[in-house]
Amino acid sequence: MMHRTGLSQRWAAVFLFLSLLCSLFTPALMVKHENFKTCDQSGFCKRNRAYADSASAASSSWRSPYDLDSSSIIFKDGKLSGTIIKTVSTTGEKVRLPLTVNFLESGTARVVVDEEKRQKGDIVLRHESKAKKERYNEAEKWAIVGGLELSKGAAVVSSEAGYTNVKYGPQSSHEAVVRHSPFGIEFKRDGETQVQFNGRGLLNMEHWRAKVEKPEPKEGEEPPPEPEGEDESTWWDESFGGNTDSKPRGPESIGLDISFPGYEHVYGIPEHASSLSLKETRGGDGKYSDPYRLYNADVFEYELNSPMTLYGSIPFMQAHRKDSTVGVLWLNAAETWVDIVKNRHAVNQLSLGTVGAVDTETHWFSESGLLDVFVFLGPHSQNVVESYSALTGFTALPQSFAIAYHQCRWNYVTDTDVIDVDRRMDKHKIPYDVIWLDIEYTDGKKYFTWDPLTFTDPERMHKTLDKRERKLVAIIDPHIKNTPDYSIVDEMKSKDLAVHNKDGNIYEGWCWPGSSHWVDCFSPAAIKWWISLFKYSKFTGTFKNTFIWNDMNEPSVFNGPETTMPKDNLHFGNWEHRDVHNINGLTFHNATYEAMTHRNDDDKKEGPKRPFVLTRSFYSGSQRLGAMWTGDNEAKWDHLKASIPMILNQGISGFPFAGADVGGFFGNPSKELLTRWYQAGAFYPFFRGHAHIDTRRREPYMAGEPYTGIMTQALRLRYSLLPAWYTAFYEASTRGSPIIRPNFYVYPGDEKGFAIDDQFYLANTGLLAKPITEEGKESVDIYIADGESYFDYFDYTVHAGKPGRTATVSAPLERIPLLMQGGHIIPRRDRPRRSSGLMRYDPFTLVVVLGNDGSADGELYLDDGESFDYQEGAYIHRRFAFSNGILSSEDIAVAKGSKTEKYHKSMKDVRVEKIIVVNAPEAWKSKNEASVSEEKDGKSGKKGDATVTFVGKTGGKANWAVVRDPGVRIGNGWKIDFN
Amino acid sequence: MRLTLVEAFALLSFAFSLSNAQKDAPRPKGVGPEFAKFYKSPGSFTCISNPSITLDVSQLNDDYCDCPDGSDEPGTSACSHLSPLSPPSIPHPIVDDAAGTAVNTTLALPGFYCKNKGHQPAYIPFTAVNDGICDYDLCCDGSDEWAGVGGTKCEDRCKEIGKEWRKADEARQKAMGAATKRRKELITEAKRLRKEVEDRIETLKTQIQGAELKVQGMKKEVEEAEKADKRKVITAPKEGGKLGTLVELAKRRVQELRDTLERVRSERDDSLKRMEELEGILTTFKEEYNPNFNDEGVKRAVRAWEDYAARDKASKPAEAQDRDMDEILKSDTDNGLVWDDFTAGEASDVDVLYQFENYLPPSLRDWIDAKLRDLRVFLVESGVLAGGSSAEVTESKAVTEARSRLTSAESELSNDQSELSRHQEDLTKDYGPDEIFRALKGQCVSTDSGEYTYEMCWMDKTTQKPKKGGAHTGMGNFVGVDKIVVDEELPPDGKGVGEGERITMKYENGQHCWNGPARSTLVVMACAEKDEIWKVVEEEKCVYRMEVGTPAVCFGNGKKDAGAKAGSDKDEL
Repeated sequence: MMHRTGLSQRWAAVFLFLSLLCSLFTPALMVKHENFKTCDQSGFCKRNRAYADSASAASSSWRSPYDLDSSSIIFKDGKLSGTIIKTVSTTGEKVRLPLTVNFLESGTARVVVDEEKRQKGDIVLRHESKAKKERYNEAEKWAIVGGLELSKGAAVVSSEAGYTNVKYGPQSSHEAVVRHSPFGIEFKRDGETQVQFNGRGLLNMEHWRAKVEKPEPKEGEEPPPEPEGEDESTWWDESFGGNTDSKPRGPESIGLDISFPGYEHVYGIPEHASSLSLKETRGGDGKYSDPYRLYNADVFEYELNSPMTLYGSIPFMQAHRKDSTVGVLWLNAAETWVDIVKNRHAVNQLSLGTVGAVDTETHWFSESGLLDVFVFLGPHSQNVVESYSALTGFTALPQSFAIAYHQCRWNYVTDTDVIDVDRRMDKHKIPYDVIWLDIEYTDGKKYFTWDPLTFTDPERMHKTLDKRERKLVAIIDPHIKNTPDYSIVDEMKSKDLAVHNKDGNIYEGWCWPGSSHWVDCFSPAAIKWWISLFKYSKFTGTFKNTFIWNDMNEPSVFNGPETTMPKDNLHFGNWEHRDVHNINGLTFHNATYEAMTHRNDDDKKEGPKRPFVLTRSFYSGSQRLGAMWTGDNEAKWDHLKASIPMILNQGISGFPFAGADVGGFFGNPSKELLTRWYQAGAFYPFFRGHAHIDTRRREPYMAGEPYTGIMTQALRLRYSLLPAWYTAFYEASTRGSPIIRPNFYVYPGDEKGFAIDDQFYLANTGLLAKPITEEGKESVDIYIADGESYFDYFDYTVHAGKPGRTATVSAPLERIPLLMQGGHIIPRRDRPRRSSGLMRYDPFTLVVVLGNDGSADGELYLDDGESFDYQEGAYIHRRFAFSNGILSSEDIAVAKGSKTEKYHKSMKDVRVEKIIVVNAPEAWKSKNEASVSEEKDGKSGKKGDATVTFVGKTGGKANWAVVRDPGVRIGNGWKIDFN
Repeated sequence: MRLTLVEAFALLSFAFSLSNAQKDAPRPKGVGPEFAKFYKSPGSFTCISNPSITLDVSQLNDDYCDCPDGSDEPGTSACSHLSPLSPPSIPHPIVDDAAGTAVNTTLALPGFYCKNKGHQPAYIPFTAVNDGICDYDLCCDGSDEWAGVGGTKCEDRCKEIGKEWRKADEARQKAMGAATKRRKELITEAKRLRKEVEDRIETLKTQIQGAELKVQGMKKEVEEAEKADKRKVITAPKEGGKLGTLVELAKRRVQELRDTLERVRSERDDSLKRMEELEGILTTFKEEYNPNFNDEGVKRAVRAWEDYAARDKASKPAEAQDRDMDEILKSDTDNGLVWDDFTAGEASDVDVLYQFENYLPPSLRDWIDAKLRDLRVFLVESGVLAGGSSAEVTESKAVTEARSRLTSAESELSNDQSELSRHQEDLTKDYGPDEIFRALKGQCVSTDSGEYTYEMCWMDKTTQKPKKGGAHTGMGNFVGVDKIVVDEELPPDGKGVGEGERITMKYENGQHCWNGPARSTLVVMACAEKDEIWKVVEEEKCVYRMEVGTPAVCFGNGKKDAGAKAGSDKDEL
């Protein structure tokens, strides 16, 4: 007994000691929840949810107090306008809310609701605030760049009393049914309701009202009971984390329920560390308790599987059911929350003719601003994303280096450190294009300066990198150090270009440099000034191969509420920060993009080059300006896993140039995790290794064998597939399509694939990847949606297609689970080079993967990879097709331009060196050659015969054949006849 | 007949190649002389590692990879993918056929051979052939860019590069000569120092012998003196009252000591409590602060706290010790010490004095014993014991003096002994080849790098000192001399470790790192004219590597790595 006690005491002591050790040496990695609001702590979120609760409690007796005044309705030139009257239940007051519904030529509809009193400035602000009185109406200015042409064909069609029906869209297949009382709209496609506004009666626009001061209860007296009616406790000042928001305009939130009858899945509204198919946010078990939140914030050590807000937001959602996708864009830049509920029922009662047994009901609310919603009716996700992109802009076509590998770390500490890493990458024969500098390169966190002790010779560093056509990306953040010996801050202050606090003085907060001010990129003058700062003569030590990284642009303010700016801060035009918060990051990114576009203005010979600017914070439209990454993740397996749905979600939300820090930002990854992460990263559209300052070095050469070699293979795989990636980016830049694509997008009719978010297709190449994201895992089951045959990318093992089955793919550490779908032609460049720039004139390999019907096709887009000359025709765009035994290359360039010929001439020696035909017909067994013909001076001529070698199938692998050096030019038309 | 320029050029080069052929059999582009034998057959070519595959000679250097070992493309990049670093996605009809499992796919050639006329020939990796970059560091004749892709033209720069290299090489040789000379001096110095140690050992051995005898003698003297003294005390005339005074004094003294002990203990407990509270605050601070915010002040504080926390904890007072103290703090009566017994008793003062400890509980005895010795000194000093007859004093003094002589003789002896063993150990210590570091031990070199000055003291320690001021950081203490194989590019000024086996010094257990291990430094040495730190890199978090030049490691012919090399011996050992 005694002995036992003694033992257990000892164990207790050991345990105590260990836990003490743990607390000493393991930093507790956990999101600091107390720094961020829950819905309950955000006044308008709580109010709108309470509103929804009272509506559902009242059930069928609930009546939305918003009515469209029938006599006010005017329809003209594709635009319906009128006035919604809100009847305030407690006072009977009638609030006038002007409504416009625009029917756009593209088939998109836009619904805008404003508030007359605020619109006219007929209100009084509290605290003598200088803030603007209107609801924020400039989100459009930043997010929307086109596609607003009104439909000429839209027309009011006869309808029953109390409704206004408008037919619009392609072949007038769309219809908006506007119900007057209570106000609501149903959007139909081909007669079926797809999207419903205010169906649940949750429309809410908090009208302006004066604050009625209640007498303070006297000492010792009971305070008078709260009057019946609305809960006013969060109408006026709100405090959180020691910071009080003065709310000079009082309550002003907007809310609306948007239902998707018959749709079980909704996707989008990035950025959240959650699944691709969004989860329900109300109803308890297994559901999130808070709505998805959109309020750009620097969330430290963010948690996974959470609707918590992250660094950026795109208020664009798609709903999907079998063979149909529709979408909405909630154009509002204020703090926004979205509740999602899926209503399962046996028979659909909402709308006749709707298929499916699940309705997804969403409820959106924002703290301020206009109610401004776009509705996209699909029917394919591609149509929805394309329509959305037509409005908000397409992904900028990046420089070709930008889609190669980026080597980053906080921080490469000296310029010689940079040169040394560069040398070691070469020494280990690891390709890379870009090396990055985090904040430590600056002189005391003063941007546009170099640390005089550690970066003594930036020119030598840049020149060394340029020898191999490599680039340097330097960080520039929006906080400007508040210090006396810094000309940038002096200029910003004297020109009055900084964000102001609620009293109209320059706002001061804390970030990396300590006390700082923030450049206000909403101001045109600030943008102009910002552009001037990036001139080579101004930002000395930067060169043509310097590019920029914008971080902390949520903005991150260490001592601000929720690590950002107070909401009553004032921006250009006296808009409150509250109104513009989610756009802030975009405006800064935009200013830097502009600056980079203008860098070569004085160098007419060089001409403008495509900027590359990475951003952490973003909004709808940021895709026009550069790439984004998922912020400060952790070196853990579950973060590797979470990166895939996050990047897929960016892709379907119009911002596909996305990546996650390879290796994980915080902490030290095991060698296995790092290796697997490189294999996954090779399929991120934006591929960058990055690490926190307190982690150990982890450049791929550090790990040692076999890890270094395996990582190098992954990197070389990415480089060999760059032609396919670049073609995918071209498609994104013209159609808005995702670079990596989830199952639902590629197979919209395959219900089993709708929630799959751990595997993806690379654009239109037929490449299907499923990176390993679990420790020790050596094989993986890949879901196959269709009946095509799939072939292992590396050894041509056949996975015969059968819809809805899985293919088990062996994946020891050195192997990436990667399949090729039959029916595609994949362009590659197989010669390993030190950087992508050095592959410019390398020959191509075409991998022709014959489908079940014996045919295949593919595309290649190619240009100089850096200038804007492609806009003047300096590019090659080919379609390769294999059918009836003939492989051909066809020109699909849209139009020739002034620079077409020059570019083609520069590429005249670039040939196809090899054609691999996977799944080659058995009949080719005896084939030795194929006949090659190539166009010359516009005519096709026989070039000769090329040797064909056939390899018969063994051990579950496909037949394949290789064509030896057909010698045809990549920019020419040609045919290879196997018959 | 008028020749066009091109035709003239073609003719010329034909003539040139003919005249060349007479001296030296022409080799296909990119083939080095040692591989020429494989490319002699006129009409066909056999893949080097795959002799079963014979190609038409037109397939040589036709920019298409036919041989599984790449030997048909010595002059192009067509086979550059043949590497375990490439993804296994480029099939080969022979290799990937069922029968092809035994095919050798290792690149048969070391690279593209650049003749570099006027300098030294070298191989450049196939991946760098015709990539549009003039790689003059390996291929000073620009021959790697023979295809002129994208208009690339690489002029032959071997003349100037070779000249420069020879000039630099000459300087290097010269420096090496000086370095070798310096090394010889160091060896002489090291030998001298070793001799010094050896001599000292001899001296010490003799001294120790003498001292041992001396100590023996003194021990006897002390014994004698004590015997005499004891006798005197015992036989001393009894003097009433003296014991009474003594007891009073002892009693007071014990009480004083007890009070002090009590006070000190409570002060200690207070301090401990405060320390625990502070450590608690700091632990919470460390857990809850946001490392991403990178506030230098905060991080420095956290780092300091972690260093502190990682050090041996101040040992908490052991329970046993505390129990002892409780015993001590009990009143004398509780301890079984009844002072009255002493004053009232008839026993001889001296007997009592000597039996005093018998009255004490064992736990107290040792403590009191020690205190008693102090007490005795105190009594003598305060004149209580010394106040009596002069005979007593003289005798006591004799003992004291004898004892003190013995003590000093003993300590002298033990000093000598420890010095001896230190020196003996020193002789077995690894001071590197020729014990050369004996000559450098304790000397320091330093260099500025970024915001720090780094200092390396031979066989002692490495230190990082911030230029902007602030505490120095220990980067490790010397643990031993070792060797590693390095493979680094040698900069043109020769200040680098190059390639081959190099001698290192390991420094470990430096200051603990924030969230990491104790700092350590590996000092890698290469031959140089003078002691100099070339480079300091933090290879991994808190793992530093210093590249240090020193004549101490200049061996042999003094030949150092050449700038451009073709399989040249890069090892300077």
